[in-house]
Amino acid sequence: MLVIDDLTVRYRTAGGEIEALSSVTLEARKGATLALVGESGSGKSTIALAAMGLLPAEAMVPSGRILFDGADILTMKAEARRQLRGSRIGLVFQDPFSVLNPSLRIGDQVGEGLVHHRGFTTERAFARAIELLDEVGIVKPESVAKAYPHELSGGMRQRALIAGALASEPELLILDEPTTALDVTIEAQILDLLEDLRIKRGLTMLFISHNLGVVRRIADEVAVLYAGQIVEQGATEEVLQRPVHPYTKGLLAAIPRIGRRMGRLAAIPGRLPDLRNPPSGCRFAPRCPFATADSANPQSLLAVGARMVRCSSAEALRDTPWPVQHETVPAATAAAPTASAPVVEVENLTKSFVLSRGALHWEGWRPVRDAVRIKPVDGISLTIAPGEVVGLVGESGSGKTTLGRTILRLIEADSGLIRIAGETVSDKPQSALEAMRRTAQIVFQNPDSSLNPRKTIRELLGRPIARFGLAPKAEIPARVDALLDLVRLPAHYADRYAHQMSGGEKQRVGIARALATEPTFIVCDEPVSALDVSVQAAIVNLLADLRDRLGVAYLFISHDISVVAHLADRVAVMHHGKMVEIGPADRIMNAPSHPYTIKLLSAVPRVDGPPLARGGVTAARNRGVMV
Amino acid sequence: MSPEPATAMSPALATPARPPRKPMPLQLKAGLAITGTILLLGLLAPWIAPHPWDTISMRTRFLAPNATYWFGTDEYGRDVLSRLLMGARLSIGMGVAATLVSLAIGVPMGLAAGYFRGWIDEALMRLADVLMAIPPIMLGLLVLAVTPPALWKTAVAVGFVYIPPIARLARSVTLTLASEDFIQAAKARAESTSYILFREILPNAWPPLIVEASLRVTYAILLGSALSFLGLGAQPPSSDWGLMISEARSFLDRAPWIALAPGFAMCLLVIGINLLGDGARERLDPRLKARLGKA
Repeated sequence: MLVIDDLTVRYRTAGGEIEALSSVTLEARKGATLALVGESGSGKSTIALAAMGLLPAEAMVPSGRILFDGADILTMKAEARRQLRGSRIGLVFQDPFSVLNPSLRIGDQVGEGLVHHRGFTTERAFARAIELLDEVGIVKPESVAKAYPHELSGGMRQRALIAGALASEPELLILDEPTTALDVTIEAQILDLLEDLRIKRGLTMLFISHNLGVVRRIADEVAVLYAGQIVEQGATEEVLQRPVHPYTKGLLAAIPRIGRRMGRLAAIPGRLPDLRNPPSGCRFAPRCPFATADSANPQSLLAVGARMVRCSSAEALRDTPWPVQHETVPAATAAAPTASAPVVEVENLTKSFVLSRGALHWEGWRPVRDAVRIKPVDGISLTIAPGEVVGLVGESGSGKTTLGRTILRLIEADSGLIRIAGETVSDKPQSALEAMRRTAQIVFQNPDSSLNPRKTIRELLGRPIARFGLAPKAEIPARVDALLDLVRLPAHYADRYAHQMSGGEKQRVGIARALATEPTFIVCDEPVSALDVSVQAAIVNLLADLRDRLGVAYLFISHDISVVAHLADRVAVMHHGKMVEIGPADRIMNAPSHPYTIKLLSAVPRVDGPPLARGGVTAARNRGVMV
Repeated sequence: MSPEPATAMSPALATPARPPRKPMPLQLKAGLAITGTILLLGLLAPWIAPHPWDTISMRTRFLAPNATYWFGTDEYGRDVLSRLLMGARLSIGMGVAATLVSLAIGVPMGLAAGYFRGWIDEALMRLADVLMAIPPIMLGLLVLAVTPPALWKTAVAVGFVYIPPIARLARSVTLTLASEDFIQAAKARAESTSYILFREILPNAWPPLIVEASLRVTYAILLGSALSFLGLGAQPPSSDWGLMISEARSFLDRAPWIALAPGFAMCLLVIGINLLGDGARERLDPRLKARLGKA
């Protein structure tokens, strides 16, 4: 169906030419799903863009062909390519929130392709759009077709986009991270839908994702990309359960698994090679624990069993696992300390926001508005012991972030009691929170936004120390060095600005800043959600180490249940502003009692456990148990 | 401690420090050259001016540009080039002073409005609207009509005229920055409001403000010259460019060079400062730089 042959793509940038793809050869077989996985910078999106013929102007293609049904997309005329995109290839993008035009009705957008490519009248296209919306599982398709994008939820929008991609009856569907912006339960539904469509319509799918769990649920075959090369390719279950290439092994070992608590996650050290001048040998060698002298020579894809692996020692490494430290969880932290007084106590905390002022109507002679309010935090009570990690999970809009910030008084609560380190802070004015601001700190999700771009790392880390007078001025540089060491950054980083560091390094600085005031409690607001899997593992390990060394308690907020399950002593589940369940992590993960927790857990895409039948989510949900 | 970080952060693998500096953008070079030259000539005017700028000499009236008087002479026989050089100080000084006035008032206004929101925002921005509703020339006239005209008053008047655009820009930049997490982080260590405004937000707001301010300098020079032209700025015999054009107006048919010389000078200065502003933005914005570097 789609054959990519020896494709090399380079981008011209201000800093030099970057080789995004190096001789990639792929084939998506008719009626099957081929998944491309890789971390940022692996080139997976470039493949998608190339396959759509949508490469940006600064891209150059020195070699390669992309054959769709025998015709080369790259050498085609622009008009022919446009025709192909509109009729035989359908596209679904990552972010359903920005792809739909906010000023056009859903029905018009879904049917747009039919008007342009099939010569439908607007009315006929609209009628067809309603049928398509029905096909992708939208309830009341007539009214949804007349709605505008802002009236739809994220999952509904993604369904509408899929409907739009299906409108022209394509044979190939290219999906670029189609579920990344969605909650797990919605993600599960969309994956089921895609699988149904593939079977019903005999679609060929090229599915691009960074999430191995998602890939496992949908793909027949998977190609793992690293630094612009395919390093391993084979049947999904084979590759994910018995990885051969060291990078695949590392990637899989870095993923926290629910129900299998390890001391520390395996992290892949180092970073991507400089793609302006890619090494001629194995591109993964500098990060590879199995690297040999032969790694410096160019590596080609070798057949190992039924799959292809780009590693000369593949045969030898076949059954060697990624070296993981099987450190046992220290006893002191495994059992949550009970003797000492809790570091955080929250009772009956409530916060509501006015969502809209409501419609104006008359009550007798007076005009009144009934404000629409939402309660992201609704009567929450929670205690956190010293050195304890409480995981807070829930889907977007469940109030996790609001709860975290309300506890720190960054958002003012409507009512309720907050006590931090024995001090009641909920009734004090902001100016009297000096002590609490020192003992309780926060780490943010997005390190780009949480570090002032105009300050050096030394200034960023020195300020909290100076602010609270924790050290005399002359000693501050030494303290900054100590903090950098604590988060394992070299001391010379102190003179850098945030934009001179990678995402993981920035997040380390964010953690160091929170630690600068020597707090006993840190709210970690999705600290690893913006990071790649291998970096995420290193940060999670760092947080665990710091807890063990410094006895800091965390409120660890995440939408990723597996990370929470790995790190937390206790887990709290939030849903619509209420805490539906809280308990020891093992119990919540293995024997959840609240129906919402069960639903949430069953929707998590996993890389381990018995292989799911395709569409297995629904089956699991029907059985009402975890798989 | 796990072994990962030791290798992860070894210097060899860590992010390379600062990528090689980008060459200076061409517009910045050109802007610097033009503005710098004019500024230097203006500063050195008393020493390099070929003739006294204010000595009337009836024998040399209305001479066309020639070897002695490069830009010709005016109706009182004064050397146009010398007057032009002396006038550069007045025009540039006025433009810069006016811009400083609007920055000094507009930036704190915008910061406060964007950070506090609510009624403070409303009050400050409506005030800016009122200022904006008055035509600039009228505002200048208002200030200068009630008191005897002087160049510094022109500068203040022009400065007031350009408060609203500066305040609006500062407000919009602050709105974006205030929602960034580093502001939350500052709040989480109980920083004072003035620290957050002036140490966290302001340094990030500078790049767009500098670009805007440099544009405003050119507008201020033009508006100040217009006011001078109307007799509301520098007073004769001083050689402010606006005033020179105004005085030369009646001889435009007989001696066009008297008006053209300051006109061209102003044009060149405006272009130079604009180039400087654009070039500076490209250089100053760290995020822009990071984007260009990585891409």
